Amino acid sequence: MRRRRPLPRSEGPWAWLAAGSVALSLLMLTALLLLIAVRGLAHFWPATVVQIEMQDGRLLAGQAVRELPLEEGHGNERLYFTGNRDLDGEIWHWLPVDAIASVERPPELTVLERRHHGRFIGRLIAVGDAGTIDGNHAQQAVWTRLEARLAALEQLRGERERLRREVLRPLIRRLDANPNDADAQLALVEANARVYDLQLAMRGEVALLESVDGRRLRQPLEEVLRAWRPNAMSLPQKLAAWAGGVWRFLAEGPRDGNTAGGVWPAIFGTVLMVLLMSLLVTPFGVLAAVYLNEVAHQGRWTNLVRIAVRNLAGVPSIVYGVFGLGVFVYGIGSSLDEWFFSDSLPSPTFGTGGLLWASLTLALLTLPVVIVATEEGLARIPVEQREGALALGATRFETLARVVLPMAVPAMLTGVILAVARAAGEVAPLLLVGVAKLAPQVPVDGEFPFLHLERKFMHLGYHIYDTAFHGSDVQAAMPLVFASALLLVLVILVLNLTAIFLRHHFRVRHGVQPRP
Amino acid sequence: MIEPSPVSSSPRRAWRRQRDRLATALIMAGGIGVIGAVLAIGVFLVWEVLPALLGGVLEPSQIRTTLTPMAWGTLKAAFWAMAFAKPLALGAAIHSSLFMSQRLRSRMKPTLEMMEAFPGVVIGFVAGLLLAPWVERHLAGSLALLLVLPLGVLLAAEAWRRLPAAGRRHLPLTWAGLWLMPWLALLTWLTLAFSPGVESLLFGGNLREWLDAELGIDYATRNAMIVGLAMGIAVMPSVYALAEDALSGVPSRLGEGAHALGATRWQTLWRVVLPAAAPGIFAAVMIGAGRAVGETMIVLMASGNTAVMSLSPLEGMRTMAAGIAVELPEAVPGSEAYLLLLLAALLLFLFTFLVNTLAEVVRSRLRRRYRWLGGSP
Repeated sequence: MRRRRPLPRSEGPWAWLAAGSVALSLLMLTALLLLIAVRGLAHFWPATVVQIEMQDGRLLAGQAVRELPLEEGHGNERLYFTGNRDLDGEIWHWLPVDAIASVERPPELTVLERRHHGRFIGRLIAVGDAGTIDGNHAQQAVWTRLEARLAALEQLRGERERLRREVLRPLIRRLDANPNDADAQLALVEANARVYDLQLAMRGEVALLESVDGRRLRQPLEEVLRAWRPNAMSLPQKLAAWAGGVWRFLAEGPRDGNTAGGVWPAIFGTVLMVLLMSLLVTPFGVLAAVYLNEVAHQGRWTNLVRIAVRNLAGVPSIVYGVFGLGVFVYGIGSSLDEWFFSDSLPSPTFGTGGLLWASLTLALLTLPVVIVATEEGLARIPVEQREGALALGATRFETLARVVLPMAVPAMLTGVILAVARAAGEVAPLLLVGVAKLAPQVPVDGEFPFLHLERKFMHLGYHIYDTAFHGSDVQAAMPLVFASALLLVLVILVLNLTAIFLRHHFRVRHGVQPRP
Repeated sequence: MIEPSPVSSSPRRAWRRQRDRLATALIMAGGIGVIGAVLAIGVFLVWEVLPALLGGVLEPSQIRTTLTPMAWGTLKAAFWAMAFAKPLALGAAIHSSLFMSQRLRSRMKPTLEMMEAFPGVVIGFVAGLLLAPWVERHLAGSLALLLVLPLGVLLAAEAWRRLPAAGRRHLPLTWAGLWLMPWLALLTWLTLAFSPGVESLLFGGNLREWLDAELGIDYATRNAMIVGLAMGIAVMPSVYALAEDALSGVPSRLGEGAHALGATRWQTLWRVVLPAAAPGIFAAVMIGAGRAVGETMIVLMASGNTAVMSLSPLEGMRTMAAGIAVELPEAVPGSEAYLLLLLAALLLFLFTFLVNTLAEVVRSRLRRRYRWLGGSP
């Protein structure tokens, strides 16, 4: 007879390793989220600027970025962002920590955000007319004057933009329609003169700047976008500056080869493409699901088709991109060009990647998602509901339109949201069908037909890929890439959570098991 | 299908019937059209590639030289991705389906599935620009983590067994997924803090140079291990979700029977639940592998994208998906390069489609088996 083994006291090592994998997954998720959030949001904080004196007497000013062990020997070296590309030729300095003699934080150190050459870090000596400027003023008075002048310039810039948008562009459009419109011509000349006056008023004043090692620079004020003295700012001021930075990131276009400015055109392009895609995918997806679940004869073939559609959701997105390029761009697009836009050939209109083809490709990519989700919703509706409607004399179409579809709306919504979440993060197919590194024009404007489906557009995900891997200065672009990544992740996260909530809500409300 | 009740003929009724027929026909036509469009993707690829293959435009030798490194890279990337994702996903699925309370599980599942919200570009960017140089600097520490973390979990298990009953009640196994987190974080930190010392003691201060000099192993900054880790994170949530579904779908009376006979939860799992759910878990892994094969952005950003054919996980590779993404926009339509890339796309399509079909068939069989095992009418 076999001896009975004693029962073990606890679950044994494998159960603990299983628990450990949950912990490790959660840890990685948290680490990834924290990394993106911290690195993305910290960029907008007005960081402290330090003045460094090296042991050999060299003076530098900048923001510490990170610290690494030295390649050879002991100790660390620290990376400083020092700006002043026009003075030094470079904006980064690696300094061995041991060679630093002293680090100070003088409150008068000023950071200027400029339209060209990036940031300036140093001291402000004077502000005045280009001809008569000298260096003998009280620090505080000069700073107050600079702030006042920058505010005035900002106002002038706003005024110029307003003039361009509200007066110049409509006038030009009027003249395009009717070149002999004398009134419009007169008004155009007048408006142009006003814009010219504004530009003159912006010009002329310079700031006299001095880097910490004593080199002087005359900076035309019209090139300066913002100025701040991080060491002299209080916490509320810093918070306000941070919020302003976040806002500008969301609302402005990129500058300086994507290393500064914001991502507004990319946000706009992503949203527009996803909107177009959901307009395409919702009706067709619902139609296919209704056909599969309500109209088609439920047999072996329908089941096969159902499995095939389900599987298409697992086909790699790049394959859809290949399909979009081959069929939409080279096939349909080229034919459209030959038929309707033959006068602009050989430069293609629809025969190249663009907004329309990108949305169509992504619609095809997400169609299985919508079909599967809607079908699931339809299958959850009890048969009694349909039977009741039919018994009361409704036709099949009436049952469908008045009873079944309204009940399936949350499921459809879930499907569309999941589709949008998937499409917003999908970049691979866009590499093939129409995304641009830097689109000069947004696909929507005041020109007929207002929505330009053939144009290339900017996309948040592609922006991340391009800036991080093809940019000229990856180190400088990194914080903005993190901010874009955070934005993208947040958008997709919110969409997914909405879908989860809706699905849960729907299941609880009906409390029905799916049809076997 | 339920047929509508026959309606008597008055003009209004007749019109309603007419409208019903029309609407049904429209839905039918539209539905078939949409499904046709979705399925057209395979037809298009075959249509473009098959004539070239049969007509001899593409030479077999040329196909071999171009596609073999890419196919190799694809399989290598997928292999390492699954090597990272499989233990994590299956372990997490087992733990959450077997040990967690219903309430905790309903919170945990969406949280882990949230990892899917990270798009490929973001993971690829973090892996390629941050993780890859970081691992290169901390090579010894990162490799040590692979060993330290499982050992640390076992150490925690042993310590827990020696805890007094009151302590065990405060730190139940049900919640181990959560309270092990700080412990693992601490271990990670300790490993990284002590690894430079160990490295200089054992490998002369630089593991990378030591590998090169002693074993002749080349280390590329962006390599298959980084890609595998990144893609593992991307693939893990879907494998987890599917495996969890398969495990928690096993009729509870099976597990209860085993418990009643005195088995521990782990024995129940190993002898009863796992054999019942094995096809479902197999399907989950297959679907995960299908996703890993087709993932583009992560490979594009985190692998060196060099067509090297080597077994070493510390070297880069180029996959079919990344090759298509990089080269197809520049290829002239109809040229050899274009057709070769289309052939690669066709291969990807066929592979994923077949793998998914297999998984789907297995899953539907499994669902039938559960109904039978569960004894539901």
